[in-house]
Amino acid sequence: MKKKLLSVLLATTMVASLAGCGGDTGSSETAPATEAPATEAADSGADEAADTSDAEPEKTDETADASSDKTTLTWAIWDKESTPYWTAMADAYMEANPNVTIDMVDLGSSDYMTVLATELSGDGSDFDVVTIKDVPGYATLVQKNAIVALDDKISADGVDLSLYNGATDQVTVDGKLYELPFRNDFWVLYYNKDIFDKAGVEYPSNDMTWEEYDKLARSVTDTTFGSQVYGSHYHTWRSTVGLIGCLDGKHSIIDGEYSFMKPYYEMVLNQEKDGVCRSYSDLKTEELHYSAAFSSGDTAMMNMGSWYISTLISNLASGEYDSSLCGNWGIVKYPHADGVEAGSTLGTITGLSVTSATDIPDQAWDFVRWASGKEGAEVMASTGNFPAIMTDEVVNTIKSLDGFPQDENSIEALNVSNLYLEVPYAENVSEINSVLDTYHSMIMGGEISVDDGISKMNEEIAPLVSK
Amino acid sequence: MAKITAQNIDTYQEKLDSVIKQIGTETDEKQKKKYIREMERLRKDIAFYRSGKRFSRETKRNMVAYSFIAPNFIGFAVFTLVPMVFAFLLAFMKWDGSNPIAWAAFDNFKKLGSDTFFKAALKNTIIYCIGTVPLTMVFSLALAVVLNQKVFGRGIFRTLSFFPYVASLVAVTAVWKMLFHPSKGPINNILYTVFHIPQSSLPKWFSGGLVLLSMILFSVWKYMGYYMVIYLAGLQGIPGELYEAASLDGATTWQRFRYVTWPQLSATTFFVVVMLTINCFKVYDIAIMLAGGGSGELTLNATVLVYYIYQQAFVNWDLGYSSAVSMVLFVLVLAVTLIQFRGQKKLAD
Repeated sequence: MKKKLLSVLLATTMVASLAGCGGDTGSSETAPATEAPATEAADSGADEAADTSDAEPEKTDETADASSDKTTLTWAIWDKESTPYWTAMADAYMEANPNVTIDMVDLGSSDYMTVLATELSGDGSDFDVVTIKDVPGYATLVQKNAIVALDDKISADGVDLSLYNGATDQVTVDGKLYELPFRNDFWVLYYNKDIFDKAGVEYPSNDMTWEEYDKLARSVTDTTFGSQVYGSHYHTWRSTVGLIGCLDGKHSIIDGEYSFMKPYYEMVLNQEKDGVCRSYSDLKTEELHYSAAFSSGDTAMMNMGSWYISTLISNLASGEYDSSLCGNWGIVKYPHADGVEAGSTLGTITGLSVTSATDIPDQAWDFVRWASGKEGAEVMASTGNFPAIMTDEVVNTIKSLDGFPQDENSIEALNVSNLYLEVPYAENVSEINSVLDTYHSMIMGGEISVDDGISKMNEEIAPLVSK
Repeated sequence: MAKITAQNIDTYQEKLDSVIKQIGTETDEKQKKKYIREMERLRKDIAFYRSGKRFSRETKRNMVAYSFIAPNFIGFAVFTLVPMVFAFLLAFMKWDGSNPIAWAAFDNFKKLGSDTFFKAALKNTIIYCIGTVPLTMVFSLALAVVLNQKVFGRGIFRTLSFFPYVASLVAVTAVWKMLFHPSKGPINNILYTVFHIPQSSLPKWFSGGLVLLSMILFSVWKYMGYYMVIYLAGLQGIPGELYEAASLDGATTWQRFRYVTWPQLSATTFFVVVMLTINCFKVYDIAIMLAGGGSGELTLNATVLVYYIYQQAFVNWDLGYSSAVSMVLFVLVLAVTLIQFRGQKKLAD
């Protein structure tokens, strides 16, 4: 009988250790007893950073004692491998601040903000600095109190917000700012010069209305089976069609009234009907990426964000895109509505925030300030990306990049006169966004008429806006 | 019952004696059994007290058994039971995962009635289930009956019908999307060239009202192999004599199926239907992969309950409301399963 009791005891200890510590591999019996106090402080969220978990406890312990020693900043990012500027930024900052190590954690791009919000829920996070990919996600984090307001630090360090061209005003929440943008993309019109040459049509210009653009797209379109040329291309995002209406500066997606989108939905749907652009349901089914559409050489014009410039340059250089198909490209300013200044365009900012869970808010802020300031801007420009602070030097750096089109119009297209954020801040912006996305898909997929779709948008969003 | 001590051991002994006497005189069977159980319990308690050990043999045995269950049960409790109870409570609260939880009473449930997206998701999920469950059942049963006979290439055909089940969902949805591509797919090509349907009215399989049909067809194709295997096992459990006897009585093939196979398979059918229904209500992956189109956004025509739960919980961070939607799903599955259990009971009697 004694044996049995022993086995019961053994079994329960095994169970207890299993449930209790979740397993430092190998030394499972001694781990809970001896190591627990030491790791407790630093271990709270170390699962994600499994590769560094061995060294981490000691490192953070030191920083707690003496701040002059090495500090580790944990930074949430996405697509580390395919996006060169993360590493460039981190390296440049570490060079300027030798006592700081930046530990980047890649959360993937497709559902970055969702994953990040989950990571920052509760108190199990060890991120110090997080990248803010979009405004709906920003709104979520602000409402969850996961990131801190930066106003005190901004005024203490004298950061000049006017450098951001008003972008920060559109993400201010009740008078407080929770992020500083370090990257700022704006929409331009990409075109394939070879197609225009072949059709004998003049290139698009920096001052076009949407009607002129529509006419131009139709004039280069060829619907002959086997040798189709599409005059235009619209990616499946809502921003490629519905948001065009926001360019007059009078409307935005948080208005609650969306009839301003109607002419643009009609323009695109008519183009689709006449074979000027690819059909939405085809794109949706084959999940065609916009870069594949443009680089295949049968797309004359495509409206897309400025982030595509660096992709085009690097993929043409590496030979991933066939330069005989799309090597001769150019950009012009976004077309505009009648009576609106040319150069008005949509933009989207990528920001940095300090988490409320961080133990080292001052170091985290220093990195945010640096990255979103002039030093960070130069690093961004050197990788072919657009920093939030556009100075003449930055424009010079980008236009002198190897592979950037050298015609006058393309260089002039980099000057933006009015920038409207795709999504400005509003309390329910995340819900508003998903309602709009749903009806965008339905309108574009022909499941609902433009009028019905827009009246549905108005109906569904009214309670979200008035709240 | 009070613990046995040196003082009250005698009363226990007396009680035992009286119970034994009662057993001798009792005539009612049920009552007698009850007394016997009582006697056994008293005997055990007394024997345990007299042995002077800390745990009775019975308790020890139970503890060993529990220790075997423990690893699984602790996992189940931590990762399933507690969250389930928590979700149930959350349905009556308002919470965004970070700020303090606020009591919301029935607000979340009231909101359900006026929510277009919820109603669409509920409708689509129910249509999907009604379409998928009977079709999958019929096809898998038919396949099983055919492949249970000694037909040529039986092994190959069995493997082929099981293949979709083991194939990766992502890969096979990609293939389906190419096959049913609205303008370049071979299916629509056949419709265009053979049946002369004009290009503008070719069906768009993954949008509008057709998307549910595509989902149902896909699901039937993907899962019928699995249920076929279950039916095959059921078929092989039917004794051959029954068929022999039936053919001696001059039963036709249909009659043999109707009066021998079908009733003999009722337990299997019950299992298949319950599993199918539960799995159908849980549908999410198929909808996202077939109709999500890269961005993973589902339109009103394709949205399903689980998608809406996810959307509310992790995109809009309205955990209370998403729990309320989960409760609807839970009640739905529970109700359907209970009805099926009742039906099965009636069949068995």
